[in-house]
Amino acid sequence: MAEPQVQHFDTIVIGGGIAGLQSALDLADQGYRVAVVEKDASIGGKMIRLSKVFPTLDCASCITTPKMASAAHHENITLFTYCNVDGIVRMGEEIHARITQNPRYVDPDKCIGCRKCEYACPVYLPDMEQGGFSAKKAISIPFSNAIPQVAVLDAEHCMLCGQCETVCPTDAVDYFMEPETFTLTARTAVLSTGFELSPVKDKAQYGNGEIPNVIDSLQMERLLAPHGPYNRVLRPSDGMEPDSIAYVQCAGSRDKSMGVSYCSRVCCMYAIKQAMLLSGALPLADITIYYMDIRAFGKGYEQFYQNAKAMGIEFVKAKVARINEGDGGSVTVRYENQDGGGIQTMDHDLVVLSMGILPGWRPEPYCPVSTDSDRFITSIKPKISPVLTDMEGVFAAGAAAGPKDIVDTISESGSAAVEAAKYMQASEPILETQP
Amino acid sequence: MTPTGNSGNQDKILILATETCAYPGADSTGQAHSSYPANTYILRVRAPVLFPESFYLDCFQKGISGIIIMSCGEECPYEGAYKDLAKRVDRVYAAMKEKGLDINRLRLTAICTVCNRAFLNEVNRMNDLVQELGPPQFAATA
Amino acid sequence: MTNPNDKENKDDTHNGKVGVYICHCGGNISDHVDVDKVRDAAEDLSCVKVARTNMFMCSDPGQNMIIEDLENGEVDRVVVASCAPSLHETTFRSAVERAGANPFVYEHANIREQVSWVHHGDPATDKASTLVAAAAAKAENLEPLHPVRVDAFRHATVIGAGIAGMKTAVDIARQGIDVALVEKTTQPGGRLNTLHTLAPDGEKAGDVVDAFYEEIQNSERITVYPNTQVNDVKGYVGNFTLTLATDGENGRADTTVDTGAIVMATGSQSYTPFNGEYAYGEHPQVITLPELIQTLAENSGDENTLTVNGKKIRNMVMIHCVGSRRIPGIHETKEDANLNEYCSRTCCSAVLHAGNFIRETFPGTSIFDMYRDIRTYGRGQEELYNRAAENRVVFMRFEADAPPRVESSDTGNFPLSVTVSDGLTFNEEMTVPADLVVLATGVEPTDISGIAGMLKLPRGNDGFLNEVHPKLRPVELPVTGVFLAGTCQAPMDSSEACNTAGAAAAKVSALLGKGYIELDPFVAHVDEEKCTGTGACVDACLVDDALELVETEVAGQTVKKARVTAALCQGCGACVAVCPENAIEVNGWTLKQYEAMVDAIAAA
Ligand SMILES: Cc1cc2nc3c(=O)[nH]c(=O)nc-3n(C[C@H](O)[C@H](O)[C@H](O)COP(=O)(O)OP(=O)(O)OC[C@H]3O[C@@H](n4cnc5c(N)ncnc54)[C@H](O)[C@@H]3O)c2cc1C
Ligand SMILES: Cc1cc2nc3c(=O)[nH]c(=O)nc-3n(C[C@H](O)[C@H](O)[C@H](O)COP(=O)(O)OP(=O)(O)OC[C@H]3O[C@@H](n4cnc5c(N)ncnc54)[C@H](O)[C@@H]3O)c2cc1C
Repeated sequence: MAEPQVQHFDTIVIGGGIAGLQSALDLADQGYRVAVVEKDASIGGKMIRLSKVFPTLDCASCITTPKMASAAHHENITLFTYCNVDGIVRMGEEIHARITQNPRYVDPDKCIGCRKCEYACPVYLPDMEQGGFSAKKAISIPFSNAIPQVAVLDAEHCMLCGQCETVCPTDAVDYFMEPETFTLTARTAVLSTGFELSPVKDKAQYGNGEIPNVIDSLQMERLLAPHGPYNRVLRPSDGMEPDSIAYVQCAGSRDKSMGVSYCSRVCCMYAIKQAMLLSGALPLADITIYYMDIRAFGKGYEQFYQNAKAMGIEFVKAKVARINEGDGGSVTVRYENQDGGGIQTMDHDLVVLSMGILPGWRPEPYCPVSTDSDRFITSIKPKISPVLTDMEGVFAAGAAAGPKDIVDTISESGSAAVEAAKYMQASEPILETQP
Repeated sequence: MTPTGNSGNQDKILILATETCAYPGADSTGQAHSSYPANTYILRVRAPVLFPESFYLDCFQKGISGIIIMSCGEECPYEGAYKDLAKRVDRVYAAMKEKGLDINRLRLTAICTVCNRAFLNEVNRMNDLVQELGPPQFAATA
Repeated sequence: MTNPNDKENKDDTHNGKVGVYICHCGGNISDHVDVDKVRDAAEDLSCVKVARTNMFMCSDPGQNMIIEDLENGEVDRVVVASCAPSLHETTFRSAVERAGANPFVYEHANIREQVSWVHHGDPATDKASTLVAAAAAKAENLEPLHPVRVDAFRHATVIGAGIAGMKTAVDIARQGIDVALVEKTTQPGGRLNTLHTLAPDGEKAGDVVDAFYEEIQNSERITVYPNTQVNDVKGYVGNFTLTLATDGENGRADTTVDTGAIVMATGSQSYTPFNGEYAYGEHPQVITLPELIQTLAENSGDENTLTVNGKKIRNMVMIHCVGSRRIPGIHETKEDANLNEYCSRTCCSAVLHAGNFIRETFPGTSIFDMYRDIRTYGRGQEELYNRAAENRVVFMRFEADAPPRVESSDTGNFPLSVTVSDGLTFNEEMTVPADLVVLATGVEPTDISGIAGMLKLPRGNDGFLNEVHPKLRPVELPVTGVFLAGTCQAPMDSSEACNTAGAAAAKVSALLGKGYIELDPFVAHVDEEKCTGTGACVDACLVDDALELVETEVAGQTVKKARVTAALCQGCGACVAVCPENAIEVNGWTLKQYEAMVDAIAAA
């Protein structure tokens, strides 16, 4: 094997969600050279996979794609997609990141994104980019607005039939591609590794993910997306148009028994948003939100909540204790009504669980940056600069530093960019000059 | 206009599509390989507020059968432009009526970057209309 | 400022020699479109000098074809017919540039996403030919363009020296840019000067202020102007001139500052309840949360019970959402006052933080917390809520339309009683006797009508400044070169205020770092020979001051002509539509070009 390659930058951004992209753009616009390392085959993070976004209800793709495109075309930004981070360490003045490029089995320099391979491939797999509700091929472009538009082959499920190789007009398919490791060095790093939803399968009282027509909130985002799996909202088990839809809030948060005692911060608002979009898509459906406290705290959020109430969305202050399979695909929700009334049950056609927000990446053992008891990256100056970590020259932004909506993520990412720039400007390390 | 052999599709539809919303929306429809009538010609525009009333009337005069303005709607990046555009379109309607043109030949709508279905609906609707109405006929003006 | 429309462009007469390059896209296009037929049709167009095809136009051989033709002088305008422009427009523009030509003499025809992937057979080929003809017609009318370059002062002005303003100033100064920090009161610090310890982690507010204060005092780049307000603003992005008015012992002194960017950090103020709102103003033992926080700073803490106004507090009631989350039709307010429909965001945590402090320091004081929703959303905040429960704070929940009633009382020597229908206990009506009622008052924006009027900044119904777009451009105001930070935008806690401050500083640094600003060349351009000075364009323009009428001399006579300030023009073309003389165009997107395209389409 050839000597591992080393490439030099000013900043390495780990995670190409909206946080990472915003930090990268703000640094690149100041003339710094930035590497963005993303584990998925496309940049864009969770945001590009959402339907519409609160509080403005603009289409997620319409406001994410411009940022993705500016990052992809920026002369100071280099994207490394489909890459794993094997380690981030400080060596003297520099941060070293060891990276593995996972094989796409498609040469990204040759692929023209034409999808001929995808059409030819005989292997169908559930498309997790569509909530698992529709199928994709074993070789495919990750999703319609992915950047880069390069096909990826799922080696685990490929039958090696050779069809894709035959139809590819540019000979881009390469079944023998190997992982490649290389090193990035820089003066600073921004950790923007985002979040994951807490898995439904760990929630016994909510059916461990085995009850049909109980889905999580990101799956509902796909059902609501204009380019979603069914092109309209149908319940997955039988394709019926649901007449009654329920949201279970704090399904994985504010709940010590789940190890997630904190508030996940975005679920109230996205549940209200989804409820509003649903009442647009299914004007006759009843929509109920079971909640403990509605936390509509951001700019315009309270008004958004009041609008939802005025639209007839029902808010029930209750803690949902159990969810069971009902008759004919329905779902039975058993809840304790906190406004009196005690334990009650109600049947719904479709139930959405607002699962908790967990960190998207655990730095240990890859990176010596500390995390808090909530397992998100620790801020050493939470009041004056929430982005400062305990590793010199390393900053955190977005959901990696605690659950956050897009607006707060974007301002935090700008803040991380300016702290990184300050660090690079200063001869003195910042940790010593600020209390 | 001498109808040349454009596969029998003389009923041309002009689409003014905004570069931030509707134009990528049309591309997204293409990525999905959803076919639609080929008598549609998409022009990329920054903001359709640029076009004066006369532009639309001239288009009809030149033989364009239908025009769809695919804007960003409320998501318009130019504050105030959509409102001005809507007012202008009203004035074009008035002028069209005067000239005896069916005002349905001009449509203002909003298309997002992934609104494939809305895009197809608009195009198909306009196509049905222009197939029915045929090329624009101007009433003799006083 | 360099004019993008200098004479250089005028030399380019409009008989462009267009080269058309059609991509097979490895069958993606050529499977449905007869590429050779499209080329033949292009060759027949009078403006087209060469038409070629390639398997992959984006490949090096494809791009080299273009470069060679340009270098040989065979063509001077380029059309590539291939995939969507979002994928390769920049690729081909840079190929044109590599050949030494201006990158804007390039036009893209989209015959993959908008032809071969959606149409089949002859109609596909015909449509591709038509789109190529339209693109060639536009290309023939293209002119070289140059980015607009505006010189900029490497200096920024931050208005308001609360925590947000201080952090913005420090962050900008550390990038080597000079800063004027303008504060209307005697000293920096803002709201934090009145707070005790901060939720959720308990830092001393004074320490947080000092963290920045020292650096501001010592920084050579930051000039603080206390007792000062902005009196006048002139100019535009990169080139503002501000007049600062400072109140001093000898009266008022004016200073002029040349500055490249302005950051609004004017913060917020506490809501003051109206007379009689929850008995405020009628009873001395009804106070606001900021007033409570002040007394906490003064209490010695060596007693078992909290003392306020010289009275021992056995029972204390805290009422949330006072002056916030009001609902039209349910809540009323005094005339002229805003309804304040928004949530003030920080009060829940501040209440619980103060409550915990009191319960842990003065166990003799009981607390009843009456709320609508507890909004402890942030990191470390839910813990405050849990701790309050452990501290045996008694929570009671009320509905928006049934707020607690605060009344003077004489029962059991408690001066006050608070009655609420408690949602947590089956809406039972409960009456709590109290020594003190604390109203968790929300925040309202500082009155900035002066400066906001001067700069023409948009504010919402509630008076907070409105950003351009909450996600795309959250710290920018619609006036180019003016930004915002902190609670002048919306309620937020100090961590969040500091994040927006950092974000604003990043934008300012990127804008002013180079000493000049480079903008898109797609701006409006006036043909002075045609312009008759009707002013229609000025009225139609959507951006303040981007267009104006100026007087010039033509043949000894004074006439009015429209003038574009390129730095402010967004290039939307609102002016183009209304000019009776067709004397104004948007560079790169002219009406003439569109008309040529329509002609080509109509002729097909
Ligand atoms: C159902 C739902 C609906 C929502 N709706 C809204 C809404 O309407 N409005 C709103 O404001 N917010 C909404 N949000 C919140 C929004 O999704 C987040 O604010 C936002 O995605 C945070 O961006 P981020 O970049 O920090 O994280 P992410 O979007 O999670 O991006 C992180 C990126 O880092 C990558 N990554 C992770 N680990 C590694 C690693 N080790 N190496 C390399 N790359 C890595 C990930 O692949 C990902 O691309 C919603 C959230 C959910 C769950
Ligand atoms: C009761 C209460 C308790 C709080 N508790 C906490 C807490 O525990 N933890 C926490 O994190 N946050 C808390 N906050 C929020 C915190 O106070 C704010 O986030 C923070 O003060 C915002 O800072 P700022 O710079 O945006 O505004 P401000 O602090 O309001 O500063 C604005 C500054 O601008 C100046 N100014 C205004 N107009 C002009 C003008 N025209 N020209 C020049 N100068 C001008 C003002 O004089 C002021 O100095 C609390 C808020 C309140 C009201």
